[in-house]
Amino acid sequence: MAEAIIEVSQLTKQFKGITAVRKVEFKIGKGEIFGLIGQNGAGKSTLLKVIAGLISPTSGEIKLFDRPVKGNHPYFERIGVLIENPGLYPHYTAYENLELIAISYGLTNRKDHINKLLKLVGLEGSNKTKVKNYSMGMKQRLGIAAALVGSPDVLILDEPINGLDPQGISDIRNMILELNNTGMTIIISSHILEELSKVATQYAIVHQGEIIEHHSREQLLLQCEDRIEIEVDKASSAVPILEQKLHINHYKVISERMVYVYDAHVENQHIINTLVESGITVHSIIKHKQSLEQYFLARIESEGGSRD
Amino acid sequence: MINILKMDFHRFKSNKMIYILLLIFFAFQIFGIFMLGKYEQPGESTVMLISSMNESQFIQVMMSQIPLWPLIYIAVFVVYFYMSEHNSGFYKNYISMKRARMYTVISKILIAGLFTLLTFIVMIVADMIGRSIFFNHALIGDGGYFAKLLIGQFLLHWAFSIVILCLSIISKSLITSIVVGFVLSLNVFGMIVTVLESIIDDVHLSSFLIVNTILSARDFNNINDLVHVASVSVVFIVIFSFIAIRYKIKEDLK
Repeated sequence: MAEAIIEVSQLTKQFKGITAVRKVEFKIGKGEIFGLIGQNGAGKSTLLKVIAGLISPTSGEIKLFDRPVKGNHPYFERIGVLIENPGLYPHYTAYENLELIAISYGLTNRKDHINKLLKLVGLEGSNKTKVKNYSMGMKQRLGIAAALVGSPDVLILDEPINGLDPQGISDIRNMILELNNTGMTIIISSHILEELSKVATQYAIVHQGEIIEHHSREQLLLQCEDRIEIEVDKASSAVPILEQKLHINHYKVISERMVYVYDAHVENQHIINTLVESGITVHSIIKHKQSLEQYFLARIESEGGSRD
Repeated sequence: MINILKMDFHRFKSNKMIYILLLIFFAFQIFGIFMLGKYEQPGESTVMLISSMNESQFIQVMMSQIPLWPLIYIAVFVVYFYMSEHNSGFYKNYISMKRARMYTVISKILIAGLFTLLTFIVMIVADMIGRSIFFNHALIGDGGYFAKLLIGQFLLHWAFSIVILCLSIISKSLITSIVVGFVLSLNVFGMIVTVLESIIDDVHLSSFLIVNTILSARDFNNINDLVHVASVSVVFIVIFSFIAIRYKIKEDLK
């Protein structure tokens, strides 16, 4: 992992005796896109608010840029946030809203900076429209621009694609990737794993306030890849047969008895026949096909299902 | 600190609601003077007619009557100014800055003071115009006394605005804050305390309440009255500012 710029240890947050976040631990490296996936009410927003310094943890520690932070620490100002709804005055225009934020940051060359941000989020042509007349997608984009006014090192986006049409989702996704290309670390939460998988490099599944799984993009995709899982007596004896007789090159030996085959051109029956003819005992053969969504639901189910 | 204050001031000066509030206050102030002039009843010769009072005496009379209109306008402004930021969630854009939680409360306190000052300016201008038109004079009286009266009343009104700000921060509810603002402006709390005082001996708490202090006619040439007004104002300003800042620092933000 790249240099960790956010480190969370044993983080717990309770509201009037109800635990919203329980002993959460993770690290986020510089330049990563960290995806938090979980159902509504899983504790994602609470966790993000704690990281952003909007609420204080009941216990546990947060390290930002390798330093422990508490209360209104100055390091929190290096984080731009769009949590739940964009914080915007509805009777002001996009420019007026951003101007107020720019004043609070003490920016001098405000006009250029604001126009640049409006252009980045694709709102440069709506200078005279009040925010109350904006569509959901426009508000989300303006919310991202607002989070970027202070030129943060880390951007936190909580459910940024909620309520957006496909074009809006695509725009936000491209914007996230564009910002990440500049070196910005991004934390993004969503309950749609499929969408998150298109941008995130690290994933944590949050369920009932706990992180139940943490994966890199490669690990997650591996979990959901189409494959044939073959259980044999001895994997090392089966592999030469798979290579030579079935011309399978894309496979992985998982254990002494388990081989995963990723080549799509062979049928299960063909594999069984060939292995048996070569004197290999096949204990089981399973075609594994799972979408990201199915994987996520299966993980939630295994942890006790929905809290609703 | 200065940047957050600049931001709030920018919002203050670009907000039409503030000018509308002051305009309505101005209009009602003029209308009030017109009604006073029209329905003034000459009583006993020892009682001074309102139409013949100077500005200091006129303000004292106006501020001894319930409801205290300036307080209502101040309460509406403070609740509106704070709650519009809170309800829109705009604070999320800057609150993570160093000491921003403390500075945002101090900034709101200063803006409340600015609005209170503007209310006083509007009140004086409206009084002068109204009295010139309907009472045929706009005498101010002793300048020193007038200045002391204005400073004293300004501090009391500003302290009241901080009380309302503190209640808005804690209650986080526009309706609750407005209702409490109205109830306090009508001095309901002061009346209850006064009734309780009449039951319990040797307790004189009501004279230290902020709205009661505004309502009581004072001689601003008397040092005891001056000290009383100044100490009530300062105590309320300090205590409620402190509570508001402490609460904001500890608050879990939505």
